[in-house]
Amino acid sequence: MNIMNFIYAFLLLVFVFLFQTSITGINRKVMARLQRRRGPKWYQQFIDIFKAMSKSSTTHGWIFDFGVIMALGGIMATTILIPIGPFKAFADVDNIFIVSYLLAVGMLGMAMSASGSGNPWASIGVSRALTNMLAYDVPFMVLIVSFIYAFKTSSLSGFAALQQGAGILGWNFFRFPLGGIVALICLQGMLGKKPFDSFIAPAEIASGPMVEYGGRHLGMLFLLHEFSTFIEVSIIVHIFFGGGATPLEFMVKYALLYTFMNIISGVFPRFKIDQAVKFYYKVPLALAFIQGLIIIFTGLGVS
Amino acid sequence: MDFNALILFMVFSAVLSYLVSKSNIKLGAYSTILFSLISLIILFLGRNNIGNEFSLLYMNFRVTAIGWYFSLIMILIYSMTAFFNPYWMEKILYPSSYNFLYLFSLAATVGLFFAADLITLFIFWEVVVWSSTFIVPLGKSRKAAVVYFTISSIGSMATLFAIMFVYSKSGTFDINEAFKFLASEPLTATFVFFTFITAGLTKIGIFPFHIWLPLAHGNAPHTFSPVLSGGLVKMGAFIAYLSVGILPAYKAFSTSMTIMGIPFQIYLLMVLGAISIVVGTLMAIKQDDVKKLIAYSSVANGGYILIGILMMDQVTFAGSLMHIFNHAIASAAAFLTIAAIAHRTKTTKISELGGMIHKMPVSYVVYLISIISLAGIPPMGGFVSKWLIVQGLASKGLIFIAFAAFFGSIGSFLYVFRPLAGLFLGQLAPKYENIKPSTLVMKIPMVILASMSVFFGIFPKYLLETIGEIQTSIGIDPIMINGDTITTINGVLNTNKVAAIFGFGFVISLMIFLVLPKSRKVGLMDTYTSAEFIYTPELYHYANSFYAPFERLYKNHPSVEKFLGKFAVKTEELGILVNSLFFSHKPSVTVLWVMAIATLIFLGGVDI
Amino acid sequence: MKIISNNSKTDKEDMRKIWEKIGDYFRANSIWMKWYCTGCGAIELPPTMTSRFDMERLGMGPMATPRQADVLLITGYLSSKTLRRIIYSYEQMQDPKYVVGFGSCTINGGIYYDSYATMKQLDNYLPVDLYIAGCMPRPEAVMNGFDTLISMIKKGEANGWKHYKENYDWYSRNQLHSLGEVYVKDEFHE
Repeated sequence: MNIMNFIYAFLLLVFVFLFQTSITGINRKVMARLQRRRGPKWYQQFIDIFKAMSKSSTTHGWIFDFGVIMALGGIMATTILIPIGPFKAFADVDNIFIVSYLLAVGMLGMAMSASGSGNPWASIGVSRALTNMLAYDVPFMVLIVSFIYAFKTSSLSGFAALQQGAGILGWNFFRFPLGGIVALICLQGMLGKKPFDSFIAPAEIASGPMVEYGGRHLGMLFLLHEFSTFIEVSIIVHIFFGGGATPLEFMVKYALLYTFMNIISGVFPRFKIDQAVKFYYKVPLALAFIQGLIIIFTGLGVS
Repeated sequence: MDFNALILFMVFSAVLSYLVSKSNIKLGAYSTILFSLISLIILFLGRNNIGNEFSLLYMNFRVTAIGWYFSLIMILIYSMTAFFNPYWMEKILYPSSYNFLYLFSLAATVGLFFAADLITLFIFWEVVVWSSTFIVPLGKSRKAAVVYFTISSIGSMATLFAIMFVYSKSGTFDINEAFKFLASEPLTATFVFFTFITAGLTKIGIFPFHIWLPLAHGNAPHTFSPVLSGGLVKMGAFIAYLSVGILPAYKAFSTSMTIMGIPFQIYLLMVLGAISIVVGTLMAIKQDDVKKLIAYSSVANGGYILIGILMMDQVTFAGSLMHIFNHAIASAAAFLTIAAIAHRTKTTKISELGGMIHKMPVSYVVYLISIISLAGIPPMGGFVSKWLIVQGLASKGLIFIAFAAFFGSIGSFLYVFRPLAGLFLGQLAPKYENIKPSTLVMKIPMVILASMSVFFGIFPKYLLETIGEIQTSIGIDPIMINGDTITTINGVLNTNKVAAIFGFGFVISLMIFLVLPKSRKVGLMDTYTSAEFIYTPELYHYANSFYAPFERLYKNHPSVEKFLGKFAVKTEELGILVNSLFFSHKPSVTVLWVMAIATLIFLGGVDI
Repeated sequence: MKIISNNSKTDKEDMRKIWEKIGDYFRANSIWMKWYCTGCGAIELPPTMTSRFDMERLGMGPMATPRQADVLLITGYLSSKTLRRIIYSYEQMQDPKYVVGFGSCTINGGIYYDSYATMKQLDNYLPVDLYIAGCMPRPEAVMNGFDTLISMIKKGEANGWKHYKENYDWYSRNQLHSLGEVYVKDEFHE
């Protein structure tokens, strides 16, 4: 750990921001085409972020500010942990549990700041977001535990390295199809896309946790959203789609997977939060357990 | 200093504190702080005593590494909580007895951890149970004390039975010797294992013995709840350790059926631990009283601790021992902040509070740090211990236990956030507009405990090296730690690095925040209301049934309390029946019996 | 009654700093609206938003709360009851903010010109940057109007929010005059 690591980390953050924001912009275009519209410019997302940052803002006390800073800080720190293909800013920190728990710092910071605004809608949104988290994370983690047992590694780059060299069929997604389906369903929940986006629900609870944010706070939360999207999709790309031997390979896989998730999101209505919980604890959890038992007791697909 | 003298000092300090309290209540309360701090220092500096044996009045003691570790946690929690005692003296019914029992139960726990024979162990166990039983009703409810004592008695009696049974077979009470013969007798070992560990299970609050925790923790005096949750619960972990570490459980069960390499007897208890995690989490999510909420979270965390101890391996056991420490300080700190708030507002109900952050920022920060630690989020201590436990479970492939661990871990975000949002954040009710922040003396222990959570999260080696020594002393591989890098089979964790990265991210975020245009401060009621005008902050505060849609999913759950309640009603009915049949003065009953006996005589031709 | 024209073209655009110009570029290309839909004009907005006219291609879109929004779009007539709420929403928005009056009702009361409960002229109470005339204006007119707003923002001419601050006394007096005395009576205050 020396100063170079931090410089790499900073460059990585800048790169992720530019990359993910462009991908989001392109996806807005894709979504528009899906709905037979022309859609915004591909760099519209940049304009939106910078515009929000250029405006004035209001604050509801120090926790409102601090929560946003903590949220963005935590999410950026988590982004630094993510390897991009073979490139890593820091060695030996891409452990899946470190990533998923450090991600929670950002979530907690945002939840704290949102509730700190004093707006009940923000609290309702946070309560839904946390419930949603309880729903999607548990099946995913059960799956991860069986993977760790099988592969004797828990680092993202370790998982990716084990899948490389055997072509597309070497990817965990095809070796463990049940697990792959669970992972994609859970990814949809992590990204907060339809049908699991009831915590944002603009028409119902006025965009939930975001209700009181404007100006620089909103701009920072947009940044946060880009970074956390990057983290969540990257986890799945690394564990189920073989990561990338080169950064370019990783970026292509990433862009395709994210676009796929977005298209799915485009054709779904929204679940109520209790329906989402019921769904996750019925289908994905059962599939995750079946896949886990198959891995642990038969070793099918492991070697 | 010899620990012989330490135990004597602690017992005498309890008596002394009683006498001082009789003359001056405040001074007595301050003396509990002083005495427990002195004990803490003596214990901490007396680490070279490990391995010593001594006896006191027919009671034998042996200072072990693990006993020293547990005692340190216990005295730490007691001494930190003691800072709150002076503020509760007027509210407690018998303050001098409280001070006496407070220090006396502390002395007994230390004796318990250093016990060298089973009788000493049992005596001190009972002393702790009795003294805490008398403290609990000094708070709100007497029923809580009854439930606490009943459940504790179930455990104590089962353990006493196991002790006597072992003695009758082996002829010795010495802890290390008494259980040795069990290694070759799996069936007896199973029996002794389950009976002996019962006291531990009741004390940790493992399902189905968890019902006393919310009652006792929720109703005990605010100054004693941290001790109950942070300290006394950990005694159960010690008994659990004796049952698998000293009682050679793995050796004895080596021939029995195994599940993923774990003997089924131990697996069964791990399943109970897993159920405790799930039940504790689900119940904590729906509590409105913060003290009950943290009590249920203690049930869930007790599950983690039990599972880790039962594994008796390199990683999970170390994680569990570390979690005992982390949970003790975090849970005690959380209870202390609630006590600080209750001291000013006279309530611990989430729905009656709100916006406390604007009045008590220090309490808020302490609560935040401790719940981050409880939920196992970096860079706090709780993260390291939960990481170790989860890594251990994953390396064994125990997915069903791991399911519970993750459910509890993510569920803890839900229940720790509820007081955060409902009690500290949100709208401030006008009736609390003029309350003062907590006093300086109250802030001291809270800040110390919170900074310990942070410190051991960034530098866990100081704790894990001690734990490694404990593991070596009981004959399992010590946890691999090199500098601040923890290595397990499946992965490495460098907490320094994680903390540095987090700090880096935070600094960048702070810089982004600072270069952007300044914000304008507005009031809490100036929020988006769909342009409706609202004038009532209390009603504009979302704290009641925070997770309503989720709670609805399991509102009709079966519960141990309901079952026991029905059982109690049936027993009472049976009693009434017996009473009315045999002990009634009603002529009809007498006539009934006369008739019955006469019939019997006629039928049987009995000769009277 | 003194009427202050808020379309007075000063030479302010020369005085804009370079970052203000950049900021105006961003603001012009990303217009988020808070729709105040009590009037009938709201029905024209879904077609404007969806496939046929697709307002998102200019970077415009609806937002859920005034904190996030740049434009307060008042679609149709105002009653004395809704006026309070519009002022409340407007004051919760973040600077720079713009007000667009939509339909004839906001200009002169439209077909409700003789109603006792209708606010006839919106710019007595809030600084309107742009009116879109019509009863109701069709999506083409709406898009045309927003095109004008975009070029106004780009040139730094949409300064209603500054005007509101500078002449707050005048606006405040008008607002209070129309609202009269406000009786607080809702489910919490009986």
